[in-house]
Amino acid sequence: MSEEYTLSLKDFESSFKPTWCPGCGNFSQWRAIRQALIELEIPQEEVVVVSGIGCSSHIPNFLKVYGLQTLHGRGIPTATGIRLANPKLTVMVYGGDGDIYGIGGNHFLHSCRRNVDIITIVSNNYVYGLTTGQASATTPVGTITRTTPRGSIENPLNPISVALAAGATFVARGFSGDLKHLSWIIKEAIAHRGFAYVDVLSPCITFNKNQTFDYFRQKVYKVEDTGHDKENFSGALDLGSQVFIKDKIPIGIFYQIENKTTYEERDYTLNQGIIPAQAPLDLTDEQIDIITEEFY
Amino acid sequence: MKKDLAVRFVGSAGDGLVSLGLLFGKILKMHNFNVLAFRSYQSVIRGGYNSYQIRFSHNEVLSVGEDADIIVLLNKHVAKLHKPLVNANAMVIYDEDIIDLDEFDYPEDIVKLGIPLSAIIKEISKLKVLKNIVSFGAISHLLGLDVELIKEVILEQFGGKGEKVIITNYEALDKGIKFAEENSWLPIWEKHKFGKARQMIISGNEAIALGMLSAGLKFYSGYPMTPATSIVHYLTKHLPKLGMIVKQTEDEIAAVGMAIGAAYCGARAATGTSGGGFSLMTELIGMAGIEEIPLVVINSQRAGPSTGMATKTEQADLFQAFGASQGEFPKVIIAPSTVEDAFKVGSEAVEIAEKYQVVVIVLLDLYLSELNATVRKLELKRKNQRYNIIEKPDENYRRYEITETGVSKRTIPGTKNGMFFTGSSERTEEGTSIASTLAGLPDTLPIRVEMVKKRMRKLDYLVKELDQPKLDGPADAEITLISWGSTVNIVKEAILQLSEEGIKANHLHIKYITPFHTDEVKKILVNSKRKMIVEQNFSGQLRDFIRMKTGVSIEHKLLRWDGEPIIPSQIVGKAMEVVKNE
Repeated sequence: MSEEYTLSLKDFESSFKPTWCPGCGNFSQWRAIRQALIELEIPQEEVVVVSGIGCSSHIPNFLKVYGLQTLHGRGIPTATGIRLANPKLTVMVYGGDGDIYGIGGNHFLHSCRRNVDIITIVSNNYVYGLTTGQASATTPVGTITRTTPRGSIENPLNPISVALAAGATFVARGFSGDLKHLSWIIKEAIAHRGFAYVDVLSPCITFNKNQTFDYFRQKVYKVEDTGHDKENFSGALDLGSQVFIKDKIPIGIFYQIENKTTYEERDYTLNQGIIPAQAPLDLTDEQIDIITEEFY
Repeated sequence: MKKDLAVRFVGSAGDGLVSLGLLFGKILKMHNFNVLAFRSYQSVIRGGYNSYQIRFSHNEVLSVGEDADIIVLLNKHVAKLHKPLVNANAMVIYDEDIIDLDEFDYPEDIVKLGIPLSAIIKEISKLKVLKNIVSFGAISHLLGLDVELIKEVILEQFGGKGEKVIITNYEALDKGIKFAEENSWLPIWEKHKFGKARQMIISGNEAIALGMLSAGLKFYSGYPMTPATSIVHYLTKHLPKLGMIVKQTEDEIAAVGMAIGAAYCGARAATGTSGGGFSLMTELIGMAGIEEIPLVVINSQRAGPSTGMATKTEQADLFQAFGASQGEFPKVIIAPSTVEDAFKVGSEAVEIAEKYQVVVIVLLDLYLSELNATVRKLELKRKNQRYNIIEKPDENYRRYEITETGVSKRTIPGTKNGMFFTGSSERTEEGTSIASTLAGLPDTLPIRVEMVKKRMRKLDYLVKELDQPKLDGPADAEITLISWGSTVNIVKEAILQLSEEGIKANHLHIKYITPFHTDEVKKILVNSKRKMIVEQNFSGQLRDFIRMKTGVSIEHKLLRWDGEPIIPSQIVGKAMEVVKNE
């Protein structure tokens, strides 16, 4: 018989208090993640939150779960290894735009197509915060940062379009200024079977004077309110392209399909229900015969 | 009767050299020979110039040999290129329908054994690779091999391809034998009954894979890179029966990252690559180091730097292994020596990684990875145990508790009340990062000091568990040869040859590079009359390391870095020069 689930937001807080600047967009994500886990009644010990390097990547420090901070950009492969070794766990990657779209871009692409059942949340603030304000992969053209004093001359990456093109089965965008909506998206992302990706519009109140809370508040609208069909791929592509070029920025679940098989379902070991991390260590006589036969 | 023989097949990529080599190796193994086989090849898929040398004996075979007793030339292109490597007394078998040896000015004394291979196979099939089997038939006549045993191996090897394939192969074999008989080829060995032995013939990469599997490997990830890729090939082949994950990744960073994730989760995990991929892995190797996550990383060295010579061997990544990742953390570096040793190191590495929660770097090289050898039975049946994992942590559980040995108990995700945070930054015993708001505060200085000491002292305990290096051979030798990794038996053969020349030599072989048995090595070396390092690199990396650790200078060196394995006669020549010039 399962015990009654009694965990509260406080239970998911570690004793180490967040070190983000007061007013940082990361705070509401910190809360939204905990809220989603509680609503889904997931025990703390079955959650692994993996991050890279950056302001947002400090998050595992502040959560009472299994928390693993890796290197800049390397949260996704590490999380993938965790999930494949034990698919019973809820494995979440959390990082910033520099971490996941910049230095970790290659892993992001491949996790979209690979469809391992992990959740990737990107706190997208359009700037490098921890290194005190340089241009990132999502910084709009013309933005003045410490590495682009005459304005950025690179076109920004559109991560939503990239994720869709790369085959992600859950693509969403939330806004740090709308906690309720964000927490709902994260809950749906966790519940999703397969790779779930959430971009979060998250103002950096210290180094980004352009994409502020006010800026986003005036522009965001929820796709759920427009009758958007989240199984419609071309509709999702269209929403994804509405960044920087229109006055309105869509948030919500842009795309979700459930009928694609996950990596775990296709894997020859995992689809037998084996948990590699807990599998017996000793080879059986039968295994020994099979793996050595070709050498005789 | 000659004690041992070397046969060399020379052809182009696409000539079926590898399958012929494997087949021949198995047939010799069935005849109770000890076999060593190595392929020298180029980075091309079709064409080029490749050779496959097999040396076999009823005694121990230490190197693939230098001169070949029998050389088989599979096409005209290679017949021309191979001339400088043909020794005067070789028997050369070739397709006389397409090759005219006189055209290439081969040495006068060779025994020319032409076979009209093209004409013969025309009678059987359109498949040109059957030429290999016809030549092999002729060779088996020279060697007096047992036709029934050969057919048994062919049936095993090609049985899956259908009856017709078997029949054509048998026909080709018989035609080869018949040709040799009818043309009165003189057998080197008389026909005799061979004892059938049950031993394995296996490559270094396959052996290390078996070793890791026997120790409970549950996760292996890699990105294709010669010469490490065959580890993934082998593991993948048997995947559905192994209850493990084998993952090809988008790059080597992901390969090591996934292995670390799996290991953190409690699966015994490893990754493998060559120098280029190893370069990409190094940052995460350091992370596993500070997070104390058990990890095995195999670097099968090839000729560098950069892409270097992708299909050629070298031992030049030792300093790269020392320098893998910034900062200081306990790093175990082991260099397997033989195919059998690769098996042992495979299991040992996986076990050390978990027991000490450290990164173990295994330095193979292309020569050992791809060397095929007959081996005695490998002990795959083991009673494995888990180390330092707790399932029921109490309220005092601290993941990074300071302990005497430096090893702390760990919980793995899923364990109730075992949650902890770990990161790539320095931390407290609980795991909390001291890198951001706490760094530099008076309270955290001793934490940093103790954490570094805790991690580093693991090596002090590990070194006591490892076999000490031993001096092999007479203590009063004229010269001590020092080696590491795959050259071990080549040096041994050189020492046997030196003793035939009346020179006493002994041998210090280094397997465990870090932690290093400094005192033991020093004690051996200071008592040596003369010392000579044998390494496959330009600068003498182990020599420099030994001097750094022990203060002892090794005054002589035999270094080779042209991509081909060192041969015993090179060592003999240099050692004699050293001994006689003093």
